[in-house]
Amino acid sequence: MPISRPEEVLNQVRTMAERSGAAEAEVYFDFVRFVEVRYREGEVELLQQSAITGLGLRVLRDQKMGFVYTTNLNRTVLDELVVRTVALASQATPRDENRLPDQAFPPQTNLEIEDPYADRITPQDLIALAKALEDNALLVNKVKTTQTARAGYVVGETHFSNTFIPYLTYRNTQFWLYCAAVAMEGGQKRVGSFTDKKRNFQDLTTPDRVGRKAGERAVARLGAKPVPSARVPVIFEAEAAGGFLGGLFGAFSGLNVLEQRSFLAGKKGQAIGSPLLTIVDDAILRRGLGSRPFDGEGSQTRRNVVVDRGVLTRYLHTAATARRDGVNPTGSAWRGYDSLPAVGASNFYIENGSSKPSSMIEQVPNGLFVTGTAGFGFDLAAGDYSQQVEGNWIEKGKLGRPVEGITVAGKISDMLTGIDAVGRDLDFRSQFCSPSIRFKELTVGGG
Amino acid sequence: MPIDEPISRRDFLRHGAVLSGAALAAGASGLSFLRPPDADAAIMGIGKELRDVLNLETVNRILIEALKRGGDFADLFAEQRFKTTIVLDDQKIDSVTYGFPRGAGVRVFFRKQTGYAFSDEIAYNDLLDAAHVASAVVLNQGTVAPVDVRPRVLTPPFSVMNPVALMSENTKFDIIRRMDAAARSVSPKIVSVRIEYQDEARDTLIGTSDGGYAIDRQYLVSISCSATAVNGSDRRTGRSFLGGRVGEDYFLRRDPEAVAKEAAQQAMTLIGADPAPAGSMPVVIAPGWGGVLIHESFGHALEGDSIRRGTSLLSGLLGQKIGSPRLRVVDDALWPNGRGSYTVDDEGMPGQRTVLVDGGYLQSYILDRQSAFNLNQKSTGNGRRMSYRQWPLPRMTNTYIDRGTDDPASLFSGITKGFYAADLGGGSVDTTSGNFNFAVQLGYLIENGQRTKPVRGAVLIGNSLETMQRIEGIGNDLQVDQTRGMCGKDGQLVPVGVGQPTVRFASITVGGTAI
Repeated sequence: MPISRPEEVLNQVRTMAERSGAAEAEVYFDFVRFVEVRYREGEVELLQQSAITGLGLRVLRDQKMGFVYTTNLNRTVLDELVVRTVALASQATPRDENRLPDQAFPPQTNLEIEDPYADRITPQDLIALAKALEDNALLVNKVKTTQTARAGYVVGETHFSNTFIPYLTYRNTQFWLYCAAVAMEGGQKRVGSFTDKKRNFQDLTTPDRVGRKAGERAVARLGAKPVPSARVPVIFEAEAAGGFLGGLFGAFSGLNVLEQRSFLAGKKGQAIGSPLLTIVDDAILRRGLGSRPFDGEGSQTRRNVVVDRGVLTRYLHTAATARRDGVNPTGSAWRGYDSLPAVGASNFYIENGSSKPSSMIEQVPNGLFVTGTAGFGFDLAAGDYSQQVEGNWIEKGKLGRPVEGITVAGKISDMLTGIDAVGRDLDFRSQFCSPSIRFKELTVGGG
Repeated sequence: MPIDEPISRRDFLRHGAVLSGAALAAGASGLSFLRPPDADAAIMGIGKELRDVLNLETVNRILIEALKRGGDFADLFAEQRFKTTIVLDDQKIDSVTYGFPRGAGVRVFFRKQTGYAFSDEIAYNDLLDAAHVASAVVLNQGTVAPVDVRPRVLTPPFSVMNPVALMSENTKFDIIRRMDAAARSVSPKIVSVRIEYQDEARDTLIGTSDGGYAIDRQYLVSISCSATAVNGSDRRTGRSFLGGRVGEDYFLRRDPEAVAKEAAQQAMTLIGADPAPAGSMPVVIAPGWGGVLIHESFGHALEGDSIRRGTSLLSGLLGQKIGSPRLRVVDDALWPNGRGSYTVDDEGMPGQRTVLVDGGYLQSYILDRQSAFNLNQKSTGNGRRMSYRQWPLPRMTNTYIDRGTDDPASLFSGITKGFYAADLGGGSVDTTSGNFNFAVQLGYLIENGQRTKPVRGAVLIGNSLETMQRIEGIGNDLQVDQTRGMCGKDGQLVPVGVGQPTVRFASITVGGTAI
């Protein structure tokens, strides 16, 4: 149900909460339109068109917090929920840091996160794109079928208001292409996938290329086998390195640090990685998938360098954790209408280094090249890492036979310190990105 | 951001219900049209009865509209939930959240094609529009058959007296605060405790074009406790879980304070533990939550969507030998108080107990209506959805390796050097290759037939078909975990149970750092 005047709904709900006894109130309203075509074996498997609305209300009373969300914006329901939420808050424990951001900063501009093409693209266009994904995947020799080929987009509209900030809003778009191809040979089946996601439709990789990449990746996995356990240099190819970085994100969360649940607690200002390593969380990157003009609490967003040439420079915070830690806010609160603000990533990436990815391989006499990781291998409190990986063995500086059924493990602090090369192949296709990185030595667990 | 973005890896199991946004509940009052009086209080008196809007007549009309252009099947699924989330951190009740999502969706399928549309508003005209949109996937195929839905009488597999979700907030706060104190009492080295409490009452109404009309009310609760111990520069987190589709009496059998202490004790055990070994070796996996293994290794590969697409490594293997002759695997929607249990699935089929593998032979796939239709089989009652905003997919319920005959203690004997996985984390699988992984939260070395010292966590990996041939022993100590499984597929999370007795494997690859 599209709301014609979100600003009015926001004001009504906020005012109701304040009249019911909330000292501070915050209303967050999402309107999301989501369209996706899933195509397989020459026909549309699924056509999904969704419009999602939802409203979240956070209230503070005597520094105690209550929160309620609903998809039902009926006035009677809202009235009832507001009263209940204010009563609910009184049951929480007071916290000094429970205050809403009370300064209205101008939202960031020129982010280019909305492409008006989203209003013109039709389901037929998406079907044509998805068909092209599958057709091109099937052109690759040994690719026999696909798991799925998907083309879609989402348009999000966020409206925000709190007791001190009358009204903020922004719109954003994302378009994506995703293909998972299946290669078969001698009774063996392997899947390979490729995805691209962009704010602007015209920035997307062509469906021909996405389909072909998926097909090529599937074929590259055929014949993969485990290798014996060893301690060797390991290169994470850019996409896998981005996945690794994503797994580390929680260690930079101010709440986890304050509560001793991060191995980075107490390390601010210290060297935690190789001088080649710089990690940034940039919420104002032009056309960035994680860019936004203000954060989930209405705070101004910014570019935060968290690791500068190996040195841990800051943690990432919500308004409350920044107050608890006695530092400036970082504008890192993420949320939906149905969740409380929590620290989340914007565009979290490792900055490009100077190495040519091919030279990084050539310098390794015997080692592992990782193209994909799977599973939950991060213990962020302890700082331990262990994951299932696949890729190729490097022999005498050349990519050799495909490998799978192996693990890679290490102590995260040793891993970061041991990075001895950073590539220059950073490509923003996700919120977590990295160029290729090389770890001097990791443990490979094999057959 | 995208609610349902493509994920390259197909699946994961998540600890607890932390990120869920979804949490189902099971056949408490089953199909009762009478609500217990306090249930109304839980719904806060703000939700209209689903059946007030969606009576037999309106459901018929909406389904006829959905099939106007033809199609093999259509259904209407309406849902309202009342959810409570309470988080304790830093010794304080940090936040209390109420959630009230409510809406309905219409689905049409024609062979392999699906049309789906939903509305956040449960109103006749909105759903008629949704039916029209969903029907667009069909290009004027057949003729319209009349639809005449009738209430379906289904017996709940178990009953839940005094559901936890309906307890007063103060009682819930009290349990949470006692857990916090108990975990902290274990040692001064426990510096941080976080308790996440989530419960839910879920009402559903399903009308189907083959004449079904079912109403259900289900309850679910999950409580997770994580405790962090610090000793010098060593920092370890232990975890424990409570919950299920249970009533207040559950806490008499499972003392919340004792459970909270388990998390703290696990953290203390892990402090100073040696690195885990790396490489292939004999592995024994603990009962209960260890069933993550069967969920990942065989469960997902047996789900009807990848089976009918031919992309699963188990496609076409019905009746064939796929595992050790000792192996019997069951998916059971009727397991008492199970996290994945239900009276009726999310497309109007009764929940059932399905033997998937028996004596090592593949007996049945896990099917929803559409995959069953395309495979020319009958649904196994496994059509589930995360919420009214999604269409059903074939999903697991409570999946376990059945009881064996071995004395669990005997399963360690004869192992010179091996690994014991005492508590696991989450896992994932590639159903095409069968390569799977799952994390170990707490492990021990096995040396000369004995469980010896604790070691740090590591991932365990294998290939489904190879690993399931390598079962050397199955204990007689079956346990099914009902506290924490959250299974994700295609962006949809649903709560599941997993289980197994103690199981011994000739070899699995352990991903530690010690060679």
